[in-house]
Amino acid sequence: MELSDEVLCRRAAEHDEAAFDALVARYQARAYRLAWSIVRNAEDARDVSQEAFIRLYQSAGKFDGRSKFSTWFYRILVNLCLDHRRKHRWWTLWTRDESDPESEESLLDRQPAPAQNPVDAIGRERTLKRLWEAVGRLAPQQQAAVILQVQEELPTREIAAVLKCSEATVRVHLHRAVSTLRKTLKTTETD
Amino acid sequence: MAAHPDTELIPYVHGELPAPERERVAQHLRECLDCRRDADELRELLDDLGRAVPRPPDVHWGGYRAELREKLAAHRTRRAWWARPVPLTLSASLAGLLLVVAFLAVQSARQSGTGADFASVEEAAIGDRLGLLEQYQVVERLDLLEEFDLISDLDRLAAERAG
Repeated sequence: MELSDEVLCRRAAEHDEAAFDALVARYQARAYRLAWSIVRNAEDARDVSQEAFIRLYQSAGKFDGRSKFSTWFYRILVNLCLDHRRKHRWWTLWTRDESDPESEESLLDRQPAPAQNPVDAIGRERTLKRLWEAVGRLAPQQQAAVILQVQEELPTREIAAVLKCSEATVRVHLHRAVSTLRKTLKTTETD
Repeated sequence: MAAHPDTELIPYVHGELPAPERERVAQHLRECLDCRRDADELRELLDDLGRAVPRPPDVHWGGYRAELREKLAAHRTRRAWWARPVPLTLSASLAGLLLVVAFLAVQSARQSGTGADFASVEEAAIGDRLGLLEQYQVVERLDLLEEFDLISDLDRLAAERAG
């Protein structure tokens, strides 16, 4: 029978290496993807997500089981990502390479939309690309809230637990973020 | 008509609102065309975003875990800052600095009169050891001790006084 995250975490707290490895294997892809969505750089996402696992190893004993393990771990990870973003904000803006192959990857190649004519498809692709770029420019808490909801599909209650704020605050973050994104969408459509 | 929903609209679209709130928003949407349009646009935007989540570059997970194990091992062997050895030059400089500070403190204490306090404490201690304070009459006339003749006849005078 597969052990729950919470049991594995308790065992990791007792320095059970196998339990820790199992948690890493279970969460590595999610951690890396979430980190990449916030820091937008593969190398940094790798470092930050690994740092989150190191923190998990060091503080597994502090997990009290009041929340789900995933919520607790996401909190560690998102805090590290937001710290990283804060520290590197100006450097990233200054050195951002618009021809970065990572940012040029076709969104529609990866997530094909329902069949459309090619002109529509190109326009749609451009719109989605600009939308996700706009997500990257949102205020850190708003960006994290959008990614946790849209990408990780967490409910508002869990997003609040990850961001350590109230559900009402998460609603405000999401509302403001979506208002900004809709403005971006309208600008893109009028271009 | 109830107030326009704003921050409730996203949780409503996701079906997360508790029943009374959900019903209030639903009622409003039935009556307000603008908000209904807003909710539709919102649903479409969130669906689009969800479908087009950018995917990060691929990772070789074996390499990722090996790197993590190395970092973890480095963390375990790393000592806390207070337990790390201090370089020789730094410790020698600190020792020198401490000596200078101690010397300056002593000098400053002597000059500021704290030295006088030390002297009086020292006098009292010596006096106590000699038993002078027990013979207060003698202590009272300590100035007489400065006369050499008196000092040489001190024992005799004391005997006479007792007799």
